[in-house]
Amino acid sequence: MNLAFKEIKKNKVRFLILGSIIFLVSLLTFIISGLANGLSQDNASLIKDLPEGQLYMNEDAEEAYTLSKINSSLQEELLTDYKDATALSIQMGILNDHKGKQQSVVFVTSTESKNFKDVKDGEIILDQSMKEKGIEIGDTLTNPQFSGEFTVKGFVDQTKFSHAAVAFINIENYKEIYRVNEMQLVFVPKDNSPQEISGLRSFSKQEFLKTIPSYNAEQMTLNMIVWFLVVTSGMLFAIFFYMMNVQKIGLFGILKAIGLKTSRLFTMMWTQMIFITTTSLALSIAISQGFNLITPEGMPFNLSIETTLSLSVVFLVIAFIGTTIASLQIRKVEPLQAIQQGEI
Amino acid sequence: MSLFTLNEVKKTFNNGQIKEEILKGVNLFLREGEVTALVGSSGSGKSTLLTIAAGLQSASDGEVLFEGKNLSQMDEESIRKIRATDFGFIFQFAHLVPFLTVEEQLLLMLDVSESKLKKHEQMSVVERILQLVGMEHRKNAYPSSLSGGEKQRVAIARAIIHKPKVLFADEPTASLDSKRSKDVMALIREITKNLKITTLFVTHDEEMLSYADHIIKMSDGLIVQHS
Repeated sequence: MNLAFKEIKKNKVRFLILGSIIFLVSLLTFIISGLANGLSQDNASLIKDLPEGQLYMNEDAEEAYTLSKINSSLQEELLTDYKDATALSIQMGILNDHKGKQQSVVFVTSTESKNFKDVKDGEIILDQSMKEKGIEIGDTLTNPQFSGEFTVKGFVDQTKFSHAAVAFINIENYKEIYRVNEMQLVFVPKDNSPQEISGLRSFSKQEFLKTIPSYNAEQMTLNMIVWFLVVTSGMLFAIFFYMMNVQKIGLFGILKAIGLKTSRLFTMMWTQMIFITTTSLALSIAISQGFNLITPEGMPFNLSIETTLSLSVVFLVIAFIGTTIASLQIRKVEPLQAIQQGEI
Repeated sequence: MSLFTLNEVKKTFNNGQIKEEILKGVNLFLREGEVTALVGSSGSGKSTLLTIAAGLQSASDGEVLFEGKNLSQMDEESIRKIRATDFGFIFQFAHLVPFLTVEEQLLLMLDVSESKLKKHEQMSVVERILQLVGMEHRKNAYPSSLSGGEKQRVAIARAIIHKPKVLFADEPTASLDSKRSKDVMALIREITKNLKITTLFVTHDEEMLSYADHIIKMSDGLIVQHS
């Protein structure tokens, strides 16, 4: 006889309330996590979406990529020595549309690479968020430091840096705008063990992200919010399951008195916990993933199925711990105590 | 023939620095199929004696022999098995499982006693026992919808459905009125006699003694009268 489901069937409302709490709290955690990841992507998707590899910048730049200038001959040497290596530059700037309206963007240019857009002279490829600003393919845009005009050739999905839309432009155009001849960075893919290169300092993607102004502080705050929520929610689940089972000590004592094995009581508690938690989490995952699909274009929201599954596993483990602590209490229950307590 | 024998059973509780001797060396034997009543004033040790005999707590000293096996020397699992298969319990309150129907309460007991009966055989045993206690019409009811007397009838059915060798009843009529108390005691006697179940019950109600074959009077942790 499956006591766990018999109890759920009889006390539907009680279990429905418990399930609803787990559903709502986990949904809140997933949504906040999605917003935090979304903001993180909004701040650095240009770098985060690159394949694993190393970024090199000038040692004298002291971790400020905008101050980095890699010597042309050294750059050529690196591009020849390392397969798929790319030299690139990133710089904040502005674009004016045909109505004269100013848009803040991040100009990115690179040598030929499959990781960055290849753009011809006078062309520009923009992040899709610029569409919402009324910019369309074929529009012409200008920059006060650029003598010519940029023609919009296309848009790319979610490519942002420092919360601004990325604008891929040709190297020669970039050099004209910023009056520079050297590139700021060299990216070497799949090179996880940093190579010693005289005059350059290597950064992993994670290390480089920390050099972006405000990225670290923002991420620390967001991660703090998410993990605080995870821990609070997890504790809440554990306490709920603990309380729910500890309230039944009298009943469990009677069942032990008539000869029911303690292991069957444990199985009953764990079955209920797993059933309620997985059902609520499954619903929560489905709704949060649905929300992921329908979020407005401009809202920074990014919730991968891997993230929701990882958080769900954390919740399940914490709920399991809460139930197990209660079951340890129940193991100690003397049947006699329960009998003497009176009617259950 | 003696099914159950208690030899020089003592029970001491430590109440801080003071040792309280609840049972001071009790000797008792229960004959197969007979109904024995334990009476005595409050604190005389009758309930403690019953729970020690039922394997719900251990004796501080002495022997508790069931079918020649000493319960005092058994591990917890062996005592649990005996409680599940050879003993039946009726408590002062019915202590039914609140989320099981009357029928399910009895099926659970068959399950706990590891009954070898097939599903349809179990169902017919349940039917028969419910008829015996006059509760067949409430087999789908939950405890919350039963009266005190009905609950106690279900508790009796649960205590005997697995055909235990010994039935322990601790003040089974204490929560019932006089009329229902007599009905319940008459039912316990009738069933245990029919099924040849040895019964030991504790009561403080003199009227219930007429349902017993033997009466044991306890006072201050000792048996003072056996009739």
